[in-house]
Formats: sequence, C-alpha cells, structure tokens
Amino acid sequence: MRPYFEKMADFGTALKKGQIKRGEENAALLKQVETQVAAAAEGIKQLGLPEEKVNARGEMTLWQRLNYLVDADTWHPLHTLFNPLDNEEGTTNVVDGIGRISGKWAVIIGFDNKVMAGAWLAGQSENILRVTDLAKRLNVPLVWLVNCSGAKLSEQHKFYANRRGAGAPFYRHAQLNQMGIPVLAAIFGTNPAGGGYQAISPTVLFAHKECNIAVGGAGIVSGMAPKGGFDTASAQELIENTRQFKSHPPGSAQIHYNQTGFFRYLYEEEEGVLDGLKSYMRNMPAYDPEFFRVAAPCAPKFATDELYTLLPIDQKKVYAFDEILARLVDGSEHMAFRPDYGPEIYTGLCKMDGYLVACIGNRQGYLGKDYPEYAEYPGMGGKLYRQGMLKMNEFVILCARDRIPIIWLQDTSGIDVGDAAEKAELLAIGQSLIYSIESSDVPQMLVLLRKGSAAAHYLMGGPQGNSTNAFSIGTAATEVYVMHGETAAVAMYARRLVKEEDSCKPLEPIIEKMNQIVADYKEFSRPQYCAKLGYVDEIVDLGALRRYMTAFAGCAYQNPKSICPQHHMVLPRIIKG
Amino acid sequence: MQHKMVAPMAGKVIQININVGDSVEEDDEGLVIEAMKMETPIFVPCNGVVGQIKVKAGDNVEEDDVLAVIETE
Repeated sequence: MRPYFEKMADFGTALKKGQIKRGEENAALLKQVETQVAAAAEGIKQLGLPEEKVNARGEMTLWQRLNYLVDADTWHPLHTLFNPLDNEEGTTNVVDGIGRISGKWAVIIGFDNKVMAGAWLAGQSENILRVTDLAKRLNVPLVWLVNCSGAKLSEQHKFYANRRGAGAPFYRHAQLNQMGIPVLAAIFGTNPAGGGYQAISPTVLFAHKECNIAVGGAGIVSGMAPKGGFDTASAQELIENTRQFKSHPPGSAQIHYNQTGFFRYLYEEEEGVLDGLKSYMRNMPAYDPEFFRVAAPCAPKFATDELYTLLPIDQKKVYAFDEILARLVDGSEHMAFRPDYGPEIYTGLCKMDGYLVACIGNRQGYLGKDYPEYAEYPGMGGKLYRQGMLKMNEFVILCARDRIPIIWLQDTSGIDVGDAAEKAELLAIGQSLIYSIESSDVPQMLVLLRKGSAAAHYLMGGPQGNSTNAFSIGTAATEVYVMHGETAAVAMYARRLVKEEDSCKPLEPIIEKMNQIVADYKEFSRPQYCAKLGYVDEIVDLGALRRYMTAFAGCAYQNPKSICPQHHMVLPRIIKG
Repeated sequence: MQHKMVAPMAGKVIQININVGDSVEEDDEGLVIEAMKMETPIFVPCNGVVGQIKVKAGDNVEEDDVLAVIETE
C-alpha cells in the first residue's frame, strides 16, 4: 500500500497577507484565554503543602515522581481542572494524563500527596473511572502512583457510596486485569482503608520501604466500638490508643513484603520504586512503531501556530476547516473521502506521526447553491444535513472495517430542523451514526475545536460514546451547550412575553430573566467551565493540539486488539476509485 | 476593468469595511453578510480601487446581488 500512503495529496494554502493582519486580534484573544487556563492549571499544581516541606519529610511530591517517571516531553495532562463537585480544595486530588515510560505509552495517575496526604475527595472516583476507561479504550497499561490517606471523612457522604463512587475503581481494576490490561502500582506513604484498596487492586505492586497498606488505619482501629458519644474518659482512652497506633500503623512494608508477599518488590529509595516501574514498562507488550506506520513521520508543511490566525474565537465567524486540518497532520497530506458529497463534513485519511488516522470535521460557511438538496433554504456549515450524516456513517463503518483510529474535530451548531429535515430522515440518520460509532470498536478522540451543540455534539464522536471515545480535548474557543443562550431564552420566554403584553404588564422583568439566561449560558459553556465539569478532558493550547493527536495515534497503535493488514484495507481503494 | 463583489447568499449586510476611492488588495475583507446566524466575510477579489458600493449596512440582499465594484487598470 506504499503508493497510497507514502505520499498523499497535498492540501492547505499559505496564509495571505490580509489573513495574517486580520488574524492578529483573534490570535491575541485566543492566547488570552490560554493564559487564563494555564494560570488555573498552575494554581492546581501549587495546591497544598509546599514542595520543600514534603521533601523535608523525605518524600517526593507527586509532580516530582511524575517528572522522574515519565519520558521527557511525552507528558500529556488530562483532567487538570476537573472538579465537578466544586470541592473547596479546588481538585479531585488525582493528577493524570498519558505519557511514555521507557518508550511505552501508558495512562498514568497519582494522588497529590501535597493535599491532605492524597485523600479521597468528591469527584475523584469519577476522575479515576475516566482514566480506567481511557486505558481500556486504548489498550495501554495503567500506571498508578498510590499515596492515599483514605477518605476525607467530613465529606464522605459525597463520594463513599453510589454506583460510580469510591469503590468503583477497584472493580475497574479487576476489569482491566481480566481484559489483559496491566495495572502497575508504585506505593508510597500511608494508605489505610480506601488507600489500601487503591494499593492492593492493581496487578503488580512496587513498594517503598516506608509505605504501608491496610484494611483500616490507626484511627479506625482505635475507635472501632461506638459507645453512643464521647466523654473525658473515652477521650483519654482514645489518646492512648492513638499514640500506640501512631507509632505502629498497621500493614507495614515489612509485613506485606516479607509475610503476605503482596508487594512483589520493595525499594529503599522512592526513585528506586519509580525505576522499578520503568524497568517493567520497558518489557510491556507493544508493537514496534514500524509494524503499523505507513510512512515516515513528518511535520505539517504549514506552521501549527497559524491555527491562531485561522480559528476565529468569535463563534459567528466562518473559517476554512481544511486549512485547520492541514496544520495538524503529517506533511499536510490527505486522502479525502467523497469530497463532492455532503459538503458540510470533511472525511479523510491522514497521517499522524506516520500512522494512518481517519479525520472527520465540520466545514464552515455557506455550502453553495442547491444544498441541502431537500430544502429551499441555504445550507450553512457547522450544521448537519442528510448527505453529511450519511457520509459520516459510511466513513465510520469503513474505518471500523479497516481498523483505523478516528479523530473527530467538532465545531457544530446542530442538525438541520424543520419538516423538510424530518422528511429527509435526519433524526434516524443521526442515531444511525451513533449506532455506527458504537459498533466500530476503534479508538477515537475528539478535538472540540469550537462549538459542541445540540444532538450533533453527541453524534460527532462526543464523549457520550463511553466505549469508543478515548478522550476529548477542547481549545480556547470551545463552547458546549444544548443550544445558544439567546435561542434558549426565546424558547423559554417568547410565549410569556406575549402573555405579559396582552395583560398590559411590564416586559422588563421577563427581559431581565432572558438576559440572565444568556449570561448563564455564556458562563457555563466557556473552556474552563467545560474542563471543570468534564465536558472535555483537558483544554489544550492550539499549538499543542498536534501533540495530543500524535499521542493518541501512538497509544492506539501500541498494542491494538485487532489488525487489518494494510493490503486488505478497502477504504483507501474506495477513495481512489 | 471592473470586478464585481457579489453576495454568495441571501442575508443582511452588517459591516462595510471599504469606501469608494479606497485602494484595496486582493483578499481584504470588504463586507460582512449575516445569514443563518453566521457572519460570512466577502473578500476583495483583486488589487484595485473601490469604484462603487451598492449597499449600506443593514440592507437585506439576495443571492448574486452586486455589493461593490472594484476597478483595475
């Protein structure tokens, strides 16, 4: 298949003078948002005890451990701002991302031992479940840096129980093990109760000599028998018991290395524990990149920084999607699938780091005369029409058949509406696309370039496809909402306005409510909010989008569960005709 | 020689960035039309001088209406 993939068709054009000039203000606005997001991320990193204080206790911080463990320039953080239940700590208290260890891709997660010694907090189990889902979808090892003091007891009601509560990750670890996906755990510090299960549930345990893991901690042992309340005598008893257990917390490294043997390895130094992980990762099953690469990796012909000129932060402004994609994929080359059909949608094969990937995106702007063919009104990119949705269905089905990972680049305002759209079967064709995606079983990632709105957000590779979407990233221009705020305000209050006017009542109170809806929609759809609630897994600088796409391709091809021989692929041949 | 800038679709002219007599360059953003909640820029087709502007901000235009004329030598 070398003639198909080694050199594909060039696409994209150099920026014109006028474009560069017009784009300056836009670039500044995008970078302003990125600076705000970066400041928020740095704030998360600085939470809790200062690094020096942790180091003075003879421990590394989580960030130092990650820095030591992960190969240089391969860390791709995820869920940095994720805090769906608005914890006062500002974090779910786990830090995660994808990165390479000893040259192999892994999903990596650890407890932030600077914050409450790595306690369980509200929203944390949801964060962990996203991470275990990620390892499952990409079929790459999950690596844990365990250092967990157990539940923040004053808020246990927010996270201890429930279907996706704090115990669910232990089931997920069992599930990953049963699927043949290894979970490696480096264990540091004191890990009682929940922390103990965080430590015991992975596949292979690498322990630091000072760590302990236990069913219950000293606090639980000393206060096990409820007596209906506390008095001075029972308090004194507690003090003595606590002193005793404080000096000998249960489940020491010696017990679990020498007696139970839970710990397969025990290390004197923290760096030694991390070296142990590195050594194991070196031997993890992984195809040599050459097994799947279809060409030598190469950068796009056009500078990725030009995305700041090309992607308007103003949601009303149109742009050329193909120009965006040309600045993200290897060599700015592609094989476009059905370019003359369904003009609102781009579908094509591209290369990321030499690997074959499928890209799907929303084209923007006026779609030309007589489109959509079933209606008398003009078609505008960003919206989905019959042809575009049929094309995506076909493309996804063929990608599944050829085992090609899919990257969605979404900027959609919704699906066409009205009786003409209903007659054109858009409702069912949209759901058919969801059916096609769900049955594809190939890894997919979403780049939410700008707008995710209405059902189109779901069916264009949205994170709601829990078993197919590995992860989603947003940009400084990302907005997510069921519909535009003004549209929502009209839907909610238009009839009320008529009623008020007919009753000769003042309209101002209703107008005020409508404007509040608009303001709320704006606030609750912007990038930082999307990241905090988990609508996307990370807000990424435009200049770093290609890094994440490259990492996705590397993960997807590291150890795929099934293979289509390149010379058995039909999609490239259908494109060729 | 005259080069017409025409409306690619029906919509409302919301912005005019050129004046009669202005020297303009190819790909300058001449006007902006709003339709279907989106703003579509109309680019100057060639280097030249703005000879005529046939619309004003707020005008509704039909597909293929002439919006402005650029004159070249």
